[in-house]
Amino acid sequence: MAANPMRPYVGRLAGVREVATGVKLFQIELTEPEGQASLAEYKPGQFAFLSVFGAGEAPFGLASARGPYLELGVSALGHVTNSLHALEVGDPVGVRGPLGNWFPMDQIKGHDVVIIGGGIGGLPLRPVIHTILDHRADYGHLTILWAARSPDLLIATDEFDEWRNAPDTEFHVTVDQGDENWSGNVGLITKLMEEVAPSTQNTITVTCGPPIMIHFAFLTQQKLGFTPEQMLTTLEARMHCGIGKCGRCNMGEKFICVDGPVFWQYEVKEFLEGFL
Amino acid sequence: MKFTTRDQLKAWLDGLAAEMDLVAPRGVDGHVFYRPVASGDEVLFDYERPELSAKAFVFPDTEVFLRVEQRGKDVTVEEVRTERKQVIFGVRPCDAHGLAVIDALFLNQEPADAQYQHHRERTVLVGLACPRMWEGCFCTSMGGAPDDATHLDVLLREVEGGYAVEAVSEKGKALVKGLKTKQKAGDPPAPQTNADAVPVVDTATWRTLFNDKLWQRHGERCLSCRICTYVCPTCRCFDVVDRVVDTQPGLTRIERIRVWDACTSTNYRRAAGGHNSRPTKPGRIRNRFYCKFCYYPEDFGPLGCVGCGRCVVSCPVDIDITEIMRDVAAKGGQE
Amino acid sequence: MSDYEALTQQIREQARQLLSEGRVDCVIGYEVGPRGVTRPAFIYDAADVDRLVWNASCVHNLVTYLHDKKKPQRRGEEPPRVAVVVKPCDSRTINVLLAERQIARERIFAIGMACEGTVGADGEPLARCTRCGDRVPVVYDVLLGEPPNVSPPQDDYPDLARIEAMPPAERLAFWLGEFDRCIRCYACRQVCPGCYCTTCMFERDDGLWVDIGIEVSGKHIFHLGRALHLAGRCVECDECERVCPMGLPLSLLNRRLVREVDATFHYHAGREETLAPILFEFGGSK
Repeated sequence: MAANPMRPYVGRLAGVREVATGVKLFQIELTEPEGQASLAEYKPGQFAFLSVFGAGEAPFGLASARGPYLELGVSALGHVTNSLHALEVGDPVGVRGPLGNWFPMDQIKGHDVVIIGGGIGGLPLRPVIHTILDHRADYGHLTILWAARSPDLLIATDEFDEWRNAPDTEFHVTVDQGDENWSGNVGLITKLMEEVAPSTQNTITVTCGPPIMIHFAFLTQQKLGFTPEQMLTTLEARMHCGIGKCGRCNMGEKFICVDGPVFWQYEVKEFLEGFL
Repeated sequence: MKFTTRDQLKAWLDGLAAEMDLVAPRGVDGHVFYRPVASGDEVLFDYERPELSAKAFVFPDTEVFLRVEQRGKDVTVEEVRTERKQVIFGVRPCDAHGLAVIDALFLNQEPADAQYQHHRERTVLVGLACPRMWEGCFCTSMGGAPDDATHLDVLLREVEGGYAVEAVSEKGKALVKGLKTKQKAGDPPAPQTNADAVPVVDTATWRTLFNDKLWQRHGERCLSCRICTYVCPTCRCFDVVDRVVDTQPGLTRIERIRVWDACTSTNYRRAAGGHNSRPTKPGRIRNRFYCKFCYYPEDFGPLGCVGCGRCVVSCPVDIDITEIMRDVAAKGGQE
Repeated sequence: MSDYEALTQQIREQARQLLSEGRVDCVIGYEVGPRGVTRPAFIYDAADVDRLVWNASCVHNLVTYLHDKKKPQRRGEEPPRVAVVVKPCDSRTINVLLAERQIARERIFAIGMACEGTVGADGEPLARCTRCGDRVPVVYDVLLGEPPNVSPPQDDYPDLARIEAMPPAERLAFWLGEFDRCIRCYACRQVCPGCYCTTCMFERDDGLWVDIGIEVSGKHIFHLGRALHLAGRCVECDECERVCPMGLPLSLLNRRLVREVDATFHYHAGREETLAPILFEFGGSK
């Protein structure tokens, strides 16, 4: 990590594309040598603060484990994120990262994996999917359960075919509410989980989405027989430092930024204060 | 004991003020604050407890910590530092204790907070013992004392005709070299302390009371203001924002600042999109006290309270940390 | 002199009836804490009514807590019905909130107190009480106590005159000196029944009007902006000044505007139950 963890590395926007309505995926090139070196350190599950100088900075989960750039997905919800959405390729940005813990991909090796992604919560799971697909022999059967409130909010639709056709992989997608062009599943992701009913044998699940979805996804997984030691998630909270100092993101004595954002369900259920 | 007079102290402070940033208790419109002073004459020697703690001088309420210059698409980022040393004179022992509490997180937990570390390293703490405990004070219950030298570089105690000088640390020893003193027989008088101790219970007991109705009862009248956290010598939450200070064609100057924040405020936990995971006053009040007595000691070691009593006397609706500590001890003891 | 003991008993009896008959879900009144400090109390159970008190230190304007009672406590339920103990000044804020459609009259039971003024922590009458002529709340469902038979002075703004007599530069220096002490704790805003915006314009993430820095420039704008937002709405309960930990004379700002609204529009916020907000009258959209 940098000498001053609050000082961002300078970078520039190398590419940007809209991946769902109101959600953009930013490709960032870091221009300072130290920043460039930091790219290799990012692991699936970690996050970074992205700055628009003059507007401020906000944390975003790593959205890709592939390619030469740092990829972060940004939903336009507030001041910083709207400012990010207004950027054009070539514009300068700042990056502080990698921050937080990561998905224990080594520990997951040899297991079947169920990925459960809701809305923009799917983006931090993308590097997990990439890692598994790029090292396919290291992992068992992969089940991807993908959801959004509506079809236009589905993330990473351009990768659906790759996921569907990947060896030993099944892909299911649902939306809470369809539209005239939607012919797929309609219903909450918990319903899809029950329909697919993945085997619990030697399986690890990885869930990300809005807090309320994570809550119900855990309940459904329990119903399906998964134990707290099999369920991973990644949480988010408003935060200002990412290094455990600013106080914003505590869930009881745990800080999302340094004790997480990745947690096993047995850790989550021990939080004195719930994450909802 | 090493003895010095107030006049000698003032002369010494005059010399310090010429060389470095000098902060000391000062009267301001009928209030007493630690404030920058230019000479020994501006320093208040007879005061109770400055209304705000000394933390603002190592963890400023508002501080520019980065200056960013954007020329076209080129950006330079500069960390803001000062070469000047700083002396905080007349620090009460509880305020020094408060800094030690913040140290446990900002210095001792990796990575260190660079800005805080910078200020802490450039600062020497010259304490003045309290002759007695003030309204609301309970430092003796929190491991401190009105004349506790532990977290200071120099401790002064008022004695007949002047002050007893004790250089506590190496930094302190170096600083008092310029202070005229003489050896004198006798010891400084012990300060008066309150008899009734406030009970401090272990974090395991706190954990049993998280869902107790006492949080509703104490929290419901909270105004969600920030007085308690801003007067507190250990509260350290902060926010970070950018401000554009200059815009010209092709050039923008930006300051990144950090500003005190407060877990008691309504929108503290409001996330982008509007979800607030701590939407009620009792929930926020509970978090404040759990931070001090459960999370902070479990995560970083020390308790997050030094018993300075400021929040006790300044809360407009009498949310009294000592009452809560007594309630928690009483309820915890019942189980 | 009020018989505080008798009034205390009457408040308790009133609260006991309201709670045991199920007419309200909560009584907001006053209690005395272990340090002897009078403070707001929320009573939900008739068994707890003996916590309630009435004394000269019942300074808080409890109407501000009605904002916490606007929403149902549980999804699908009705919002709670609340009884609230009010002094004359507090009662005017009920009318302000009614006019601004913040609260529903039928969900509020106002326990009005005949008032002879309150005292501060030093035992001296609060400044606001020395210039207040109101002895009976303007709105109540029950009135407790006998209105004291005294004719108090009306506010003729002598302290304001002193500030206004200053040359502009001196006046600015005075205010900047005051604002400099402000720690931006927002206690003034939080205690104010009239400050109920979900996101205060002075605390926006985008810092559109003023960023969150605790510096005199921002504090200056905050206090002037807040005063302007209360023009025609402030009832001079002066809670903002009372709770200010730094002793800012905020009442001067608010009363400056009260006087202006009085002189220009002959409008007194909250004096009548049916009074529409001044800006509605002003805009002709009654």
